Amino acid sequence: MNEQRGQHERFMREAIKMAELALATDETPVGCVFVKDGEIIGRGMNDTNRSLNGTRHAEFVALAQILAKHPVTILKETDLYVTVEPCVMCASALRQYGIRAVYFGCWNERFGGTGGVLTIHEDPSVDKPYPVYGGIFREEAIMLLRKFYVQENGKAPDPKQKKTRELKTDIIPLNIDTPKSY
Amino acid sequence: MTTQQAQDSVVYSASLADVQELGILPKTGYLVPLKTKDELLASRETFDVYVVEVPAAFASAVLNVVRKAIPDLTTVNLQHLRRVVQLSFLPKQLQIQFSSAAQAWDRGSTTSQAVDGLGATIQPEIRYLLVSPTSLIALPNLLDVLAQNPPFLGSPVTPQVFTVPVPALAPTSSEQALQWSQEYWSISYKNTNPYGPHPSLVARNTAEIEPHAGTWLALAELAGEQIKEQGLGENIGCVIVDGTGKEEKVIAATGDTRWCSPDKIASLHRDGPGNVMAHAVLRAIAMVAKKRLRIANGPLESESTIVSSDSTVPHIFCDDPHTPLEHRFYLADNLTPNGYLCLDLDIYVTHEPCVMCSMAILHSRFRRCVFGRRMPLTGGLTAEIARFQESGIDEKKNLPQPSGGLGCGIFWRPSELNWKFLAWEWESDGGDEDRTGAVEDSIQA
Repeated sequence: MNEQRGQHERFMREAIKMAELALATDETPVGCVFVKDGEIIGRGMNDTNRSLNGTRHAEFVALAQILAKHPVTILKETDLYVTVEPCVMCASALRQYGIRAVYFGCWNERFGGTGGVLTIHEDPSVDKPYPVYGGIFREEAIMLLRKFYVQENGKAPDPKQKKTRELKTDIIPLNIDTPKSY
Repeated sequence: MTTQQAQDSVVYSASLADVQELGILPKTGYLVPLKTKDELLASRETFDVYVVEVPAAFASAVLNVVRKAIPDLTTVNLQHLRRVVQLSFLPKQLQIQFSSAAQAWDRGSTTSQAVDGLGATIQPEIRYLLVSPTSLIALPNLLDVLAQNPPFLGSPVTPQVFTVPVPALAPTSSEQALQWSQEYWSISYKNTNPYGPHPSLVARNTAEIEPHAGTWLALAELAGEQIKEQGLGENIGCVIVDGTGKEEKVIAATGDTRWCSPDKIASLHRDGPGNVMAHAVLRAIAMVAKKRLRIANGPLESESTIVSSDSTVPHIFCDDPHTPLEHRFYLADNLTPNGYLCLDLDIYVTHEPCVMCSMAILHSRFRRCVFGRRMPLTGGLTAEIARFQESGIDEKKNLPQPSGGLGCGIFWRPSELNWKFLAWEWESDGGDEDRTGAVEDSIQA
């Protein structure tokens, strides 16, 4: 059990590294790794600002790497570790691809697709559902997002003045009854 | 880009006239606005209320008594329900039920009675008063309160209380208000829609895009068919239009390339989902992004600069044009500079986009979306919910039978998702051939 937990934390650590890279390049700090048989087969970070494409989420970037080398069927034996819960779009993409399981850090209350807002991973669908496990290094994932939100996003229309924003460091403990909040 | 192509892109604006020159026959039909998730919830929910028969002259007095006796009444929204109604304005079944139980007010000694010149009493005008939801007060308590106040106090007439189901939430259109008034109770409609886009907004936008929607959908069909013919994808197509200027312009037209292998040839193995990221909608969005990059930075030297130095990576996104038709619109530099994602753009899709593509449209900040055929098993835009159990399972394919839909309604959930847009389905008037049927129900469009 502990060994498994160690595995999950090791891979989430790698996902956090990708999120830190995103933060350093003015991208929303979300990072991920895809793991098959204990090996990382793809890494991704959010790429929406550079690409001017609002769909270039970390998962998509990593999936493109993987599919350049492997057949689609490899994803059925692959797990995803991502710092923030997959959005509705990514949750649907992962289900269509047949991902085996998803492990994430914090919940996504604005457009989460695996419990944060919708439950695309388990709703009725023509595709096989997949299990999700949230809360691995949740605080670190939240802090990365908060650091980003006090930076300016020059690409957005009418950039919001964020100079007055403070970096908050208190994190409310996860409440089992309302597991969505970060 | 060659010099010739560069010159073409300067003159080619991809306007309606340019598209018509391609010999595209517009589809004939009309637009039907989609119902939002909240609208559908609102249209189903009812609760029971008490109704009491009173002489018209006493209606407001009784209402005051009720308000005093039930303080919680201020916490419920009854604004869409007329509180005091004449018998003739009620639904037929209530008219029958109420008139068969009508009280003989003229026998009473109430002060409301009119006395004619001959000293005989006449029946006062009767109203039906909607008292409160039944959840707020028990019937015996209500009867007590009524009996202790005029017109019942000291009168031989005892309060006659009915229990009636009424719509819980306000109607979202005048048609719905009329229907509910015939079905439940007299409803007032204030030309607003708290559960979706305002009716006047929908009407204005429908009128604005309806004239050319059939052309854009026909173009989307052509884009999808051309790629399908190459064996690279399903027969699904997408067109992105800029409708903000004097003249609508096509920004991108794409087909689906899910069966395109990384080396750009048709894949032989058609099991499974194929390349999900090569759905027509995602490809069209990616081409808009690349056009924006081109405007900002000049011609993209190599498409492989995207993501990494590994040149095979971008092909997985399939964001290069594959056909002359896709090329034509991709090369037109007709985007307004400094735009953000797909803000203010419209998207036309031959089939209802899957959940992934619906959310991609939302993420991209589109303004309006029109699709051709509903996809009840896979579509993410419509809000109607399937009744899988009732409709049974197709045993051959082990799939739920198409009926309502997945119930996502992703275009308009403002309290949950951080963007909303207007969405319509295209209703053919039967004047042209429906070519969307070549795609199986279980396909994610």
